[in-house]
Amino acid sequence: MPASPAPICSGWIANSMWTANRYPGLWLLPALLPVALLTIYPVASALWTSLHQVMLLLPGEPFVGFQNYQRVLTSDYFTAALVNSLLFTLVSAPSVVVLGVLIALFLKRRFFGSQVVRSVVLLPWVLPGAISAVLWMWVFNPAFGILDWALRGLHLIRDPIPWLSSPQLAPVAVIVAHVWTQIPFAVVLTMTALAAINAETLEAAAIDCRSSFKRFRYVVLPEIRSMVVVLLVYNALIAFTSYDLVYAMTGGGPGTATTLLSFEIWNESFSMYDFGAGSAVAFIVVAVSAALIIAITRALPSDLFASE
Amino acid sequence: MKIRNLLVAAALAAAGAVAQPAAADDITLQFVVWNYSLDVVQDNVAKFEAANPGIKVNVTDYTWPDYQDSLTLRFRANTPTDVIYGGQDWLPAWAAAGYLAPLDKIAPESELDELKKDIAGFALSDMTFKGKLYGLPYYADTISFLYNKKILADAGIPVPQTWDDVMAAAEKLKAGGMQHPFIYEYNQTLPNFFDAFVAQAYGRGATLFDADQKAVFDDPSNGAYQQLQWLADAWKKDLVESSVHESKIVPAMNTGKYAFSVLYNYNLAALNDAGSQPLAGQFALAPMPGKTHATLGFSKFYAVTSKTAADPARAAAAWKFIDFMAGKPYTVAKRWAVEKGLGFGELPLFSDPDVVNAWGKWIDMTTLKQQAATARAGTWTEWGSVWSAYFRPLLAKAMVGQESVDQVMKDGANRWNELRAQFVK
Repeated sequence: MPASPAPICSGWIANSMWTANRYPGLWLLPALLPVALLTIYPVASALWTSLHQVMLLLPGEPFVGFQNYQRVLTSDYFTAALVNSLLFTLVSAPSVVVLGVLIALFLKRRFFGSQVVRSVVLLPWVLPGAISAVLWMWVFNPAFGILDWALRGLHLIRDPIPWLSSPQLAPVAVIVAHVWTQIPFAVVLTMTALAAINAETLEAAAIDCRSSFKRFRYVVLPEIRSMVVVLLVYNALIAFTSYDLVYAMTGGGPGTATTLLSFEIWNESFSMYDFGAGSAVAFIVVAVSAALIIAITRALPSDLFASE
Repeated sequence: MKIRNLLVAAALAAAGAVAQPAAADDITLQFVVWNYSLDVVQDNVAKFEAANPGIKVNVTDYTWPDYQDSLTLRFRANTPTDVIYGGQDWLPAWAAAGYLAPLDKIAPESELDELKKDIAGFALSDMTFKGKLYGLPYYADTISFLYNKKILADAGIPVPQTWDDVMAAAEKLKAGGMQHPFIYEYNQTLPNFFDAFVAQAYGRGATLFDADQKAVFDDPSNGAYQQLQWLADAWKKDLVESSVHESKIVPAMNTGKYAFSVLYNYNLAALNDAGSQPLAGQFALAPMPGKTHATLGFSKFYAVTSKTAADPARAAAAWKFIDFMAGKPYTVAKRWAVEKGLGFGELPLFSDPDVVNAWGKWIDMTTLKQQAATARAGTWTEWGSVWSAYFRPLLAKAMVGQESVDQVMKDGANRWNELRAQFVK
């Protein structure tokens, strides 16, 4: 009788040449091939394009080195687009997370109609970006919009406010619309994290501490902080690469007031017919996104995920 | 017995399939359009198919703002495309890149010459690149100055003849309680954002480019420079309401809160549509304000791709289709004019009783003829659409005071001249 039971896959399989340990690459192929096809090839193709002059209207596709990057970085629009993208990200990502957590805490309570409210909160999630944009364009419409109508009704304003055509207000309007579209996902993930907290811990906290803020600060937040961080990183990336909503609402305008870097990828490629420059902007977006992720994760305590 | 019956049925079915080879020989043309009145497009296509057995037409549509990108992608990806809606601003780029073919590759020159005689000058110019005709009109129109007759009459304001008149009228209306007398389609992603500006500059008699196609609009004495200054002043005085699309301007003007706009002519049909608009009948076209009252005329047209032109069978089918949609006796163009108020490039339709009768309900035909006669074509070059994409955001910035008019005009002219040099080289 052996000292320990034999493994289930003993015998022929364990001894054969087809073990996972012996040929790990081969076993990973079914997963790697789609990744290579759908990710590596397009990225490599974009990199190649960014290093060549690929302009629809000019013949040939000669190698130009980093000229596309140089042209993009020194263009009139780049600084404005970069600043706008960073501001858009720095305002909207934390806003989504804070509002998402607050709404999740609210929805965790049971009250009359709570199921209906939970469903309604998820609505923006199922709407495509373009539809959300149309909806918000009507909200912000100075002639018919519900927002101006409400503000006039409350006697807070007399003249209509040009939300989408004022260089100062248009960024605010698109951030509000973007945050609205992203909140449901943050709510769902936060509610999942809240549900995972030990009920006895919460009961003990309720007995020991009457302040709900302190209970949140010292009991709930530490339990959900890893989820909050994931949400923050995710929303930073989503905001930094946001395109459809802003494009549909303002087209990057007025002027360059809401022009984002992702919008410039489209603009260079399809309006200017310069796919080389468009690809260069795309790689710059990737580089800045990577820097953002590194910055966020470095700013976090090193033991954040250690206990999980 | 049952098996025998089955075999007989199978044999009959096979014989039937062999006896009808025409279906296999059908040509299916890929027709790409923007999504304006798709029901009418599909109905026109159905009529063509009924009149031309053996040719099917598959319609693919995109939204207007996405049309240029989508077509560019189709061309680059070699997506089968036979006949498209073309635009005057895209033609030089698409023709120079080899995506579109001149019509003489698919149609007899004598037939084209006959059709050319009927086409308005600005429309013909818009469809011509390097001396070759690349399309026949889907519609052709002008960008016009529209106003509310009742508002002006009630305020005792005569129809403005110059842009100074428009400013004075707007200030008077504002003083009388109208918050924004002028409503403006302000959307820098749309090519017509630039076209509307050119139309206004043409009213002043401006020429934006010299005979060598060098930019001259950065000169402060140029009408385009002056018009941008006018727009910036009007915005600064809070006389202008921005709207992202013409479809929003039609109901907005029908609230009676706005007196003026600059739009494509066909919007006047929508503004004066008694079936849907409460103030229908109050809106009229005036010659574009300015010294010359000229405006921008333009044409959207049916064009054929080079790939299709190179395939004799498809080329023949494509010509039949284009000829049906835009050729004599101009049935389809007339339908668009009568039912939708779309302008036309075919001059004989100006005297067609059905068109005159239908248009008389929403537009003053005398003023329209006068406006059409003074319409000028734009300057369209291979680099024009690239430059327009660069310049439109600058234009938008200057209008709302984010950038000075002088700087915007200088930057715009420099970029134009750079691109010109690059393309000429």
